Amino acid sequence: MEWFQKNPLALAGLVAWIVGILMLMPGRKATSVRIPRLGLLVTAAGVVLFCAGVGGRGPEFANEVMFWTFAVGALLCGVLMITARNPVYGALWFALSTLSTCGLFLLQSAPFLAAATVIVYAGAVIVTFLFVIMLAQQSGAAAYDHRSRNAIPVTLASFVLLGAITLTLHKSPPAFSKRDLKEEAKVEVAAAAPPTGMMMVSPDNLPKEKPASKPNQLSLETAKLPVGSMKGLGKSLFGDYLFAVELAGTLLLVACIGAIAIAPRREEGAL
Amino acid sequence: MAELLVTLVTIAIVVGAIPGVCNYLILLERKLSAWMQDRVGPNRVGPMGLFQPLADGLKLLLKEEVIPSHVDKVLFLIAPAISVFTALLAFAVVPFGPTDDPGVPSFIRFIIAPGIDIGLIFIFAVGSLAVYGIVLGGWASNNKYSALGGLRASAQVVSYEIPLGMSVLGIALISGSLNLETIMKQQIDGGLMSWNIWFQPLAALMFFTASLAEANRLPFDLAECEQELVGGWHTEYSALKWALFFLGEYTHMITISFLTSILFLGGWNFPIIAEATSSYPFVWLVKLLVLMSKAFFFICVIIMLRWTIPRFRFDQLMELAWRVMIPLSLANLLMVMFVKQFDLSLWWLFLGSCGLFAAWGLISASLRSAEERSRPGYVKRKKAAASHGHGGHGHGGHGHAAAH
Repeated sequence: MEWFQKNPLALAGLVAWIVGILMLMPGRKATSVRIPRLGLLVTAAGVVLFCAGVGGRGPEFANEVMFWTFAVGALLCGVLMITARNPVYGALWFALSTLSTCGLFLLQSAPFLAAATVIVYAGAVIVTFLFVIMLAQQSGAAAYDHRSRNAIPVTLASFVLLGAITLTLHKSPPAFSKRDLKEEAKVEVAAAAPPTGMMMVSPDNLPKEKPASKPNQLSLETAKLPVGSMKGLGKSLFGDYLFAVELAGTLLLVACIGAIAIAPRREEGAL
Repeated sequence: MAELLVTLVTIAIVVGAIPGVCNYLILLERKLSAWMQDRVGPNRVGPMGLFQPLADGLKLLLKEEVIPSHVDKVLFLIAPAISVFTALLAFAVVPFGPTDDPGVPSFIRFIIAPGIDIGLIFIFAVGSLAVYGIVLGGWASNNKYSALGGLRASAQVVSYEIPLGMSVLGIALISGSLNLETIMKQQIDGGLMSWNIWFQPLAALMFFTASLAEANRLPFDLAECEQELVGGWHTEYSALKWALFFLGEYTHMITISFLTSILFLGGWNFPIIAEATSSYPFVWLVKLLVLMSKAFFFICVIIMLRWTIPRFRFDQLMELAWRVMIPLSLANLLMVMFVKQFDLSLWWLFLGSCGLFAAWGLISASLRSAEERSRPGYVKRKKAAASHGHGGHGHGGHGHAAAH
C-alpha cells in the first residue's frame, strides 16, 4: 500500500487495467461492438500507465523503448488472449504474447532462449492449438466461447497473484546486481573486441579460463560470463542443472510412451 | 552510424532483389518444365519469353482483388503478409557472398545481420513461424478445401521441423558453432576435402528433403494439391495476395538453396578458382559467383524434382518423417557424438552414413514385406501366380507377344 501511495500512477493504471479486463470479458450484458473497443482502450491505457508508474528511467533510451514496447505488448496480448471471443484469435494473441516475451529475452542477451521459445511455443505448441481448434470448430463457436464463467473472482485472483510477485520482486534484493553484471560484461566484451554492434556475443569472446572456485568443474562463473553465449548456457545446463535436465527428459519420455500406450491400435478402429 | 547505413542498404538490396529473382525463377521453372516435357514453354513476350515475368507481375498487380464475403477479413489479409515476412526474415542471417574477404568494398556486405551466434537456430525459429501464413490463410478462407489444406500444412510442417533440426545438429557438433559464417569458414579453410557433405552425406539428404517439406514444395505440396483440394489453402486468394504467398514460397526456395550450399558444400569455396588462399583482383566477385552458382544449382534441382517425383500420399508423408527421417537423424547424431567423443577421423562418418543408409533401406524393405504378409487377404505370390496360369490377362504386353 505504501508503495502504491508513492506511485499513484501505477495504482490508477492497475485499476484501469482491471476495469478494462472486466469490460472485455465476454458474456456481459451489453454485447454491442462499442463496449469491447472501449474496454480495449481502457485496458491499453491501464497497462501503459502501470508500466510507466512502475518503470524507472534507464541509461539507454533505445533499450528502454524496446523494453517497454515488448513488455506492454506481451501484457496486452495476454489480456487479449483470455478475452478473445474467437478461439483462433485467442491462440494468435497467445503467439504474439510469446513473441513479445522472446523480444524481452533478446534484450536480456539470451538469444538462444528466445529462439528456442519461438520454435517450441510459437512454432509448435500454438500451431498444434490452431490445429485442434480448426478441427473442433466445424460448426461455429460454441456456447462457452460467448460466456466467461466466474469472470470477477478469476480476474481478481490473478491480479492478487501478480501483486504478490511484483511485491516480492520489489522487496527482495536481486541475487546479483544487474548493473554489476552489465558493467562486467561490457568490460569483458570491450576487451575482447566485439566484431559487430549486435548485442550477441560469439563464443570466441568468452573470457579465458579463470581459476575454478566453484564446486562443479563444468560450470563457468556466472558473473564473469558475457551473458548470452551458447557455450556458457550449455555448460550451465549440462553442468549445474544436469540432474534437472535429465529428470525433465525422463518425464517427457515417460509421457511419450504413455501416449503411445493409451492411443487406440489400428485393429481397434483408429485410422 | 556507418554500420547502420550499410545494414539498411543491404536490407534494401535484398528486399528489392528477391521479388525480381523470384519472378525470374518462375520463368525458369516454366522453361525447365517445358524442356522436361518436350514443350516450348512461354515464348510470346520478348525474345524467348524473357519479358514474361514482367507481364505476369503486371497482371498480378492490376488484377481485381477479390475478397469473398464469407471470409474472416483481418486474418485473410494478414496471412499472405506473414508468409512473405517470415520468408524474408529468415534470409537475414544467411551469408550470400564472401563475408570476410578483405577486397570487398566497405559499403558492401553479403549478410544482413553478421555475427549472430545462433544463426542456424534463428532460421529454424523464423521458419517455424512460416506455417502461420498457410494455416491462417486456410482457416480465414472459411472454405472446406482451404481448411483441409491448412490442417495438412500444420501437421506436415510441425512434423518435418524435427528431422530438419536434428539433421543439422551433427554439423553443429562437428564445427562447434551455430554461426553460419563460422561453419562456412571452417569448410573453406580446409578446402574441398573438408566440405561437410563428405562427413554428413545422409544429413545433407535429410536436410534437403525436410526443408522441401517445410517450404511446401513438390513432392510435399499436400497443402495445395490441385487434384484433391482445388487450390488448398490459397483457393480463395487472387491477384497480389496470391502472388505474395508464392513470393514467400520462392524466397523459401532461395534460402534453402543457400543454406544447403553453405552448410554442406563449403559456401564459396571451389577448387583452384576460389580457395581460402587465392588472391587476385576481384576475387570476391568470383567467390560471390561461386556461391550463387551453387545455390542456382540447388534451385534447378528443386524445380526438376517437381517433375520427377510424384506427390506423396498423406500417410506416406507422415511415415517418411516419423518412421524414417527422425530415427535416421537420431542415429546420425549418435554417430557424430561417438566419433567426436573418441577423436576418430571424421572420415568414419562417411562410411557410417553409407552403412546407415543401406541398413535403413534393408529394414524398411523387410518391414514392408512383413506388413504385406500380415494383411488379412494375403495370398503367397507364387501360389497366386500359379493359379492365374498362362491364360491370365495381366502379364504385360511383352511376354504375351513373345508367347504368340
